[in-house]
Amino acid sequence: MAAKGMNLCHVCCLLLYVITAVLAGRDFYKILGVTKSASIRDIKKAYRKLALQLHPDRNQDDPKAQDKFADLGAAYEVLSDEEKRKQYDAYGEDGLKEGHHSSHNDIFSSFFGDFGFMFGGNRQQQDRNIPRGNDIILDLEVTLEEVYSGNFVEVVRNKPVAREAPGKRKCNCRQEMRTTQLGPGRFQMTQEMVCDECPNVKLVNEERTLEVEIEQGVRDEMEYPFIGEGEPHIDGEPGDLRFRIKVLKHPVFERKGDDLYTNVTISLVEALVGFEMDIVHLDGHKVHIVRDKITKPGARMWKKGEGLPNFDNINIRGSLIITFDVEFPQTQLDDQQKDGIRGLLKQGPVQKVYNGLQGY
Amino acid sequence: MDAMETVLASSLLVLLLWSGAEGREPELNSVTCGSLVKLLNTRHNVRLHSHDVKYGSGSGQQSVTGVENADDANSYWQIRGKPNRPCQRGAAIKCGEAIRFTHMKTGRNLHTHHFSSPLSNNQEVSAFGENGEGDDLDVWTVQCDGIHWDRDEAVRFKHLGTDVFLSVTGEQYGHPIRGQREVHGMSSPNQHNWWRTMEGVFIRPNQELLRHDEL
Repeated sequence: MAAKGMNLCHVCCLLLYVITAVLAGRDFYKILGVTKSASIRDIKKAYRKLALQLHPDRNQDDPKAQDKFADLGAAYEVLSDEEKRKQYDAYGEDGLKEGHHSSHNDIFSSFFGDFGFMFGGNRQQQDRNIPRGNDIILDLEVTLEEVYSGNFVEVVRNKPVAREAPGKRKCNCRQEMRTTQLGPGRFQMTQEMVCDECPNVKLVNEERTLEVEIEQGVRDEMEYPFIGEGEPHIDGEPGDLRFRIKVLKHPVFERKGDDLYTNVTISLVEALVGFEMDIVHLDGHKVHIVRDKITKPGARMWKKGEGLPNFDNINIRGSLIITFDVEFPQTQLDDQQKDGIRGLLKQGPVQKVYNGLQGY
Repeated sequence: MDAMETVLASSLLVLLLWSGAEGREPELNSVTCGSLVKLLNTRHNVRLHSHDVKYGSGSGQQSVTGVENADDANSYWQIRGKPNRPCQRGAAIKCGEAIRFTHMKTGRNLHTHHFSSPLSNNQEVSAFGENGEGDDLDVWTVQCDGIHWDRDEAVRFKHLGTDVFLSVTGEQYGHPIRGQREVHGMSSPNQHNWWRTMEGVFIRPNQELLRHDEL
């Protein structure tokens, strides 16, 4: 009797716990995989990566795919909005006021474009017969700092969109040959313009915000397409909008692949006796350099892991290569100083004559 | 006393929010550096346009025209800084600032010089250069009231170098660009040289940048 009662009690408790857990709302931070102190940029980056993975078209044999995708959309909608995030942090999902809920389609297409995403298949292969509007290519200038740390750029796309209008219009107009009989045995062939009838459309300018990610390690000329955000075509599909990355030259660092090159000028004294210094990197962190030996002009120092993140695997980094050159003293030396230097350095005259160019 | 305090507090809050909003709005509705835009001449309702068709007279360079339709990618121009002085991506263009317009499809810059236009004998406006680089006659200043070039505002473009205004007066070409209007430079400001942005891809100012301005 007692045992049965205990079991019932356990079941009730379990049920109660499950119910409260479900009603208490979802953990949006966990869904996105970010910490509570994540910046808006971290949140956008997490959403973009997960949206590609969790899209139902990509997970057709997972029955929970739609729910997981919907959770992702809800998490992004709340955490990307300052107001909603504050409310969620304080009161949980239940505490969110009934506001305007953007559809997940809108959120997804602001990162990838209007027609959703063609996974795997090439768009051209499917739509050979449907006329397509022009593509738009925007050269997006990015700084080396952005290549190092990543960034998101918000743009507003204002474009004409076909909207239904009353009445009909002529579409698919083409030239056709018509044969008319003029009399017995006499025919005439004429060319005639023939059109179909279609529902009337008008072009209305609409605006939407798009999020372009500058991924870490992105290379010059790489493109980020937004499907369907190009020019419209009244009888077909819109073209695409492509952002083409143009990496700007940097005053301090030169990029070669994933490696960064920089130059440092040191004094003759520092070259001979050694020195200690910091180089400020692209994200503000300092690279510490210590030299206690003689540094020759043209000497190079390799700092592994201080280059750019690799685009395909951001856990791998290139190196920072520092080349030193020496600034000689500007003022001429007097005889006493010259003697002093001869004595200190204990290096006799060398005066070796040789061909330094060798065909260059 | 309590009621007074709440009134004071709420009016202070309203003032703060209002001033904050005032400081932010103009920046967010401005035309910014790096944006891709279509420019509409408000008097004749045509968009600034170029294509791989050269003038048959004058300089023989690539022609610039005004077109009626709104869905041609050949009407997109990218807003860029002066030669050797790039503007910062997303920074709002100020009234009076010197910029270049680079034609998206051909990479040539909006340009004018001392040649006559073919239909009206005003100053010829062409598209010049390669890959976005031409010469000093590619530079125009934005003439508008206020601080920044607003997206909904009608503005004028004055050429730096010959001092003409980008204009359309309605003359139309025949074959092979039938119906397209002549775009030329005129020396005086008038109703024919008002332009405003229409379709495009407008880059928003960098969020961090905005915050620094407010501090």
